[in-house]
Amino acid sequence: MTQVGAEIGSVLDQLEARQPKMVLTIDEYTLPLTNLDKVLWPGAGRKGGFTKRDLLRYLTLVSPWLLPHLKGRPMFTTRYPDGVTGKSFYQKHWDKPPAFARTVTIYSSHNEGDSDYLICDNLATLLFLAQMGGLELHPWFSRVDTLPDARGKSKKFSGSEENLERSVLNYPDFVVLDLDPYLYSGREGKGEEPELHRKAFRQTCDLARRLRDLLASLGLEIFVKTSGRTGLHLYLPIVRKFDYDASRTIAETIGRYALQQWPGEVTLEWAVVRRTGKIFFDYNQNSRGKSLASILCPRRHPLGTVSMPVEWDQLDQIYPTDFTLRTVPGLLEEHGDPWENILSAKQDLAQLLESRGAV
Amino acid sequence: MARAIWSGSISFGMVSIPVKLYGATESKDISFNLLHATCGTRLQQRRWCPTDEVEVPWNETARGYEYARGQYVVLTEEDFERLPLPSKHTIELSAFVEEKEIDPVFYERSYYLEPADRAEKPYALLLKALEQRGLTAVATITIRKKEQLCAIRAHDGTIMLETLYYPDEIRTERGMNLSNVKVSDRELEMAFTLIDIFRKPFDPGEYHDHYREALAELIEAKLEGKEVVQAPAARSTRVLDLADALKRSVEAAKKDQAKPKPPARARSRSRTTRRTRTAG
Repeated sequence: MTQVGAEIGSVLDQLEARQPKMVLTIDEYTLPLTNLDKVLWPGAGRKGGFTKRDLLRYLTLVSPWLLPHLKGRPMFTTRYPDGVTGKSFYQKHWDKPPAFARTVTIYSSHNEGDSDYLICDNLATLLFLAQMGGLELHPWFSRVDTLPDARGKSKKFSGSEENLERSVLNYPDFVVLDLDPYLYSGREGKGEEPELHRKAFRQTCDLARRLRDLLASLGLEIFVKTSGRTGLHLYLPIVRKFDYDASRTIAETIGRYALQQWPGEVTLEWAVVRRTGKIFFDYNQNSRGKSLASILCPRRHPLGTVSMPVEWDQLDQIYPTDFTLRTVPGLLEEHGDPWENILSAKQDLAQLLESRGAV
Repeated sequence: MARAIWSGSISFGMVSIPVKLYGATESKDISFNLLHATCGTRLQQRRWCPTDEVEVPWNETARGYEYARGQYVVLTEEDFERLPLPSKHTIELSAFVEEKEIDPVFYERSYYLEPADRAEKPYALLLKALEQRGLTAVATITIRKKEQLCAIRAHDGTIMLETLYYPDEIRTERGMNLSNVKVSDRELEMAFTLIDIFRKPFDPGEYHDHYREALAELIEAKLEGKEVVQAPAARSTRVLDLADALKRSVEAAKKDQAKPKPPARARSRSRTTRRTRTAG
């Protein structure tokens, strides 16, 4: 058994102990775990919902696929201390992160000073976040490592906004398109967000496929995952030549094009009421410090769904609720992660467009 | 044609043209009635006097102006009748100006003016004169007891009347202060690029009230007990080349990086200003 495999095996064994709290040993570190039988997703699974223990088990099982996607990325988390039906809040900074957690000091214009961000590079950190009720993981689209495609970019992130803007953290790996259907089933309560339903999801898949074909016609390959809730996240991996301002402009341009092509289906509107009946194409997440829920990240959905990467040719056959804390580890084991090579599939957008000889 | 909402005459100098006024626009907002949720009965509004604890009939009502809290001066119908309203049945033209001299903020509502019986000739004459000179007349009209400023202009073979706000009805106080915000050439360049991509002639036919359409559909669907159906997408006839658009935005972005960025301090100051305003 590999070292990683052994570590996972050991954690799973320890979690088997039917006690509500314990001190978990991972490598040379210890992590106190509490309230293991607390139900976080009351509506999920066949018996009595998914508990914190289920979450820890899930994260341990998927960690070999999940951790590579979080590597080197400052992140924040959405904490649901009382489960998905309770209150939630973002946590960006940690005063006393545990010894095993990697942190990076970044200038924050909001705090007008330097702050420590967590980087989730190991299983212990992942489980620490779960222990804190941090169900949703939001890694930045940029990361602190410069190799191989941002060689020579600065690694000084603190001191001033100028330092941060000049640094590699200002150069995202992806242009992201967030497709969020505002197609109501009619069963929602007053003022509620649209619920997940077949028709809306199919329509969103259909739009995603057209966007993929559109980009393919330019020679660009884009990746898709379920958001874990009602929509889809599309990631276009790019060589880090453009900063966030540029990636947002690129996403906005694609969005405006989509709006022009399919005005009856797409909306870029800010006002929620004007999005009704359409799919909201959100390009605004392409911004330093912003993020979408990570790949394989558990979501606030009653059934305990996670954000699942999918192959384009599978899109017709899947439904977001197929992918839960329960089902995903097995699916990954069987089929692997379609996004595994996303960072090797980076595309030089500038070069591609130039070679096409567009105006 | 709808019923005229006003009739009188346009008067300037020695000329008088009998006309009728029709609303040129209509709001198509879908309106709802307030019901009692438990039994579905439409609610009634009643004029209720909390002192006498009685419902008050119209003929026992009066209009009061609150000059201090709880203190009213009462105006009767006779008081209103006595008010000087010189343009009661006339549209008094006082000046001719260029249309572009009137800022759109002044425009309130649009009406069509049509000639009354046997007034076609002078009406056509005024229309032609306005058309050929390309001028707009400023006038006053009294509609529903209120003397209003208005503009009279030729549009598509008709004389139109647009009521205007008086200058003291236009709010001038503004909360923002942009003097600290620095916009760099590169940012402006990116903005120009986006503007150029979406530049096209104004075609009002392209725009719809999607909210109202969705609402109407929802009502229809509820009536039929069906699920809400999505309207088929209208495909835009104007196809823009995505490669071209992307290339332009990418180029603007590249230029961006070649140019030195404005000092971070200046930008964070502008950010601070914004934040303070939000907080306040």
